[in-house]
Amino acid sequence: MSSYEPKLVCFSCKFGWGYLNNEETLAKQIKNWVPIICSGKVDSSHILTAFRQGADGVLILGCRGGDCHYQDGNYEARKRVYLLHRILESYGIEKERLKIELSIDPEGSKIPQLVKEMSDRIAKLGPVKKIGEHVKTAAVA
Amino acid sequence: MADKPKVAICWLGGCGGCDEAVVDINEVLLRVANATDLVLWPVALDFKYDHIEAMRDGEIALSIINGNVRNSDQEEVAKLLRKKSQLVLAFGACACFGGTPGLANFTTKEDIFNWVYRDAPTVVNPNGNYPQLKSQVDGKELTLPKFYEQVFALNQVINVDYYLPGCPPPPYLVMNAVSAVLEGKLPPKGSTLSPHRALCDTCPRNKTKPSRIALKDIKRIHEVEADPDSCFLTQGIICLGPATRSGCGESCISINIPCRGCFGPVEGVVDSGAKFLSALASIIDAEDDEEMKKVINKIDDPAGYFYRFSLPVSLLKKKRF
Amino acid sequence: MAKKITINPITRLEGHGKIEVFLDDKGNVEDAYFQVVELRGFERFCIGRPAEEMPRIVPNICGVCPTPHNMASTKALDDLYSVEPTPTAKLIRQLHLNAFYLEDHYIHFFFLAAPDFVLGPDSDPALRNIVGLVNKVGIDIGGKVIDVRKKCREIIKLIASKPCHPEGGLPGGVPRGITEEERKWIKETADFSVEFARFALEIFKQVVLDNKEYLKLVLSDAYKLNTYYMGMVDESKRVNFYEGKLRVVDPSGAEYALFDYRDYISHIGEWVEPWTYVRLTHLKKIGWNGLRDGEGTSLYRVGPLARLNVAEGMLTPLAQKEYESMFDTLGGRPSHHTLAYHWARLIEALQAAEHMQRIANDPLLTSKDIRNMDLKLKRRGIGCLEAARGTLIHHYETDDRGIITKVNLIVATQHNAAPISLSVKKAAQAFVKGPEVKEGLLNMVEMAFRPYDPCLACATHALPGEMPLIVNIRDKHGNLIRSVQRH
Repeated sequence: MSSYEPKLVCFSCKFGWGYLNNEETLAKQIKNWVPIICSGKVDSSHILTAFRQGADGVLILGCRGGDCHYQDGNYEARKRVYLLHRILESYGIEKERLKIELSIDPEGSKIPQLVKEMSDRIAKLGPVKKIGEHVKTAAVA
Repeated sequence: MADKPKVAICWLGGCGGCDEAVVDINEVLLRVANATDLVLWPVALDFKYDHIEAMRDGEIALSIINGNVRNSDQEEVAKLLRKKSQLVLAFGACACFGGTPGLANFTTKEDIFNWVYRDAPTVVNPNGNYPQLKSQVDGKELTLPKFYEQVFALNQVINVDYYLPGCPPPPYLVMNAVSAVLEGKLPPKGSTLSPHRALCDTCPRNKTKPSRIALKDIKRIHEVEADPDSCFLTQGIICLGPATRSGCGESCISINIPCRGCFGPVEGVVDSGAKFLSALASIIDAEDDEEMKKVINKIDDPAGYFYRFSLPVSLLKKKRF
Repeated sequence: MAKKITINPITRLEGHGKIEVFLDDKGNVEDAYFQVVELRGFERFCIGRPAEEMPRIVPNICGVCPTPHNMASTKALDDLYSVEPTPTAKLIRQLHLNAFYLEDHYIHFFFLAAPDFVLGPDSDPALRNIVGLVNKVGIDIGGKVIDVRKKCREIIKLIASKPCHPEGGLPGGVPRGITEEERKWIKETADFSVEFARFALEIFKQVVLDNKEYLKLVLSDAYKLNTYYMGMVDESKRVNFYEGKLRVVDPSGAEYALFDYRDYISHIGEWVEPWTYVRLTHLKKIGWNGLRDGEGTSLYRVGPLARLNVAEGMLTPLAQKEYESMFDTLGGRPSHHTLAYHWARLIEALQAAEHMQRIANDPLLTSKDIRNMDLKLKRRGIGCLEAARGTLIHHYETDDRGIITKVNLIVATQHNAAPISLSVKKAAQAFVKGPEVKEGLLNMVEMAFRPYDPCLACATHALPGEMPLIVNIRDKHGNLIRSVQRH
């Protein structure tokens, strides 16, 4: 039985998720956790970099509707994610691997569960395929 | 009297447009030819690679290389010139970012070969021939270079000292670059020899841009008669100006056609497509999920727009198969 | 001892390739191959792109002849959307195409081809270029050619933004019109171009035709190939670069086919060989019969000489006179003398200049009616025109959003790839005899491909760019006996 465990990166907004809890405690429960001040702060290049560095999935946890501390950060984040789904498709990366969830969870107790659920879903897809390099070169980049 | 600096101009996987761009500096070319010792320029001069191989390392002051790397011969030539040159300038979008042929990174070598040599409607190939690295014809051996699995920008194969983007770089930037080299007034290594800011900053249509753009619909250029004075984005037409480096003189904008990003990312940015994605997302005016998805899913070929010239140097580089 | 001569790279052409010449034991040429060494895959990576973006992508097939690609692509869009461009749009497009023909034909003739004739094919290679030509002829031809090129490219810049990479080109029209102010200097350029075109033909007459040795070379068997010919003609069977039907004549000059280019698939086949990346076109109905001319051939040529061979006249009066004079000298139509390509090229440049004059004086040129917006997507569009180097076909298929699903491109130099190989072989057989291979003889072999003005970037929708020119003579074990280098 394969024991493949997808590498998931989780960005979560500090204003809506886990703010009543201790960051250190949560960090022990969630691998590759990046707490940030607003889901709108997650740029496309952050998400693409995560995949480039070997992530099999990216989960973004932001605030609901009108709850965003910065008014429309969550709204921008969603639009970016939906556009990114199209781009990731062109790169052969299934859109199920990038998800945004908007809710509120002051204790942050749901985060590990959400991460696990997503992890299970994308485990079925397997790891993101690697690209082969065909130039043996001692050069940069 | 000091020897004239040796300069090499060479094309790898380019289309020849960048070489034409050098000729487009017209009379200035004669000044350059007088001030330098041109040791290689395959399109115009008869020098061979032996001539270069025989030089000492670093004997060439400057190699101007255009084109991307797609096969083994191109890789060899790039490395040869790097070895013999003090400075290497990546000239044009293909050398800087991979260029339009970089879009082939969304497909595979197998796919290309199967269509070109088997499935295209005019192909007549009963023997199932495909180009071979080595083939025997009536007892004679013929060779071809190896076609790689992906397209590489020049700096993914050798160290590059300077970049001059554009498809092709416009004459005034070429002349500025040439003068900078001849006068020894080059910026720090790694620099791009073009302004640092985005095209929007220099675009004449910027003056009429509203403070906020809110699009409910994306239009394609042939569907409308674009207004020649207002910003394309306000008309719902995708224009890569916000994420593209300035320097071209708005050549496409001036014939009422939107920018497609041939100058690559602005200073400090690696992936121009990702930046443009964020910019485009921010001007889409949609309230709920459903509306957002509707507008976004109606955009045809976003990846082709965002990465027209820069796929090989994008963060993800190539499609995973 | 059997030997192989490798000419790599070949120079004074656009693109990269190499020539392999095989000698038999007596040192005579047994065979020769013209190999194209690159490929990029435009036909595949354009899939998924919106069709209206194609005129902006395909100029990257070739930066030396980007205009024909941009324009054939635009015509394919016209077909795809079943839309007729407005009369003004047509004038602007033809102005663009003619301006391109002029600067492209002249760069080829003066910079690439003429040095062979003005200085002599086996003259010192260091002088066998535009500088040597200028010194020999005594006038600043180089400067004049640069000037014509510059002025014509200003027109292209006005219409299409960048001469090396024209943008613009929409189904049913053009994105930008022309003003009365602009018409003034376009007229000046057109007038200047006609003058220069006549001057260029004069030069050719003085330097080549009046020289008995060269005329002999032009009419020699070493540079003769009996093939079919293909080119575009209008309803009166005159040479037309922009629109018309495709006509094919057999080696005796009789019409073999006259067809709507949308039917190209039934007429043109592409053969694949393992030793070259380019696909070798031939007449499909005859079938591939190998690299041969004359009896049984299925090969046809395109480009200036071919166009003049298939047509019954030129579009414009001065060019028509030259056309008649050329065939008089060559002994009738069709002419199989490959070196006559250079002459035909100059006659075409004259037609382009005269046509430009006509357009520059047309009142409709500055009308604001530049777009026909009545677009009806058909899902298949085929555009065809005569690029400077020969017939060019862009064939697109799309889904019902007008997104590309299939692309097939047939480009000028492809049609000529097999004939070039044959021409090279014939010249090699005529000039390379015995173990002594002088550099000048190699140049005479290269003179066999230069008339075609080949564009190898186009030929494989690939990228050019390769090695400089070395000729290595090896024995049959591959040991290097001698290395002959030009320069």
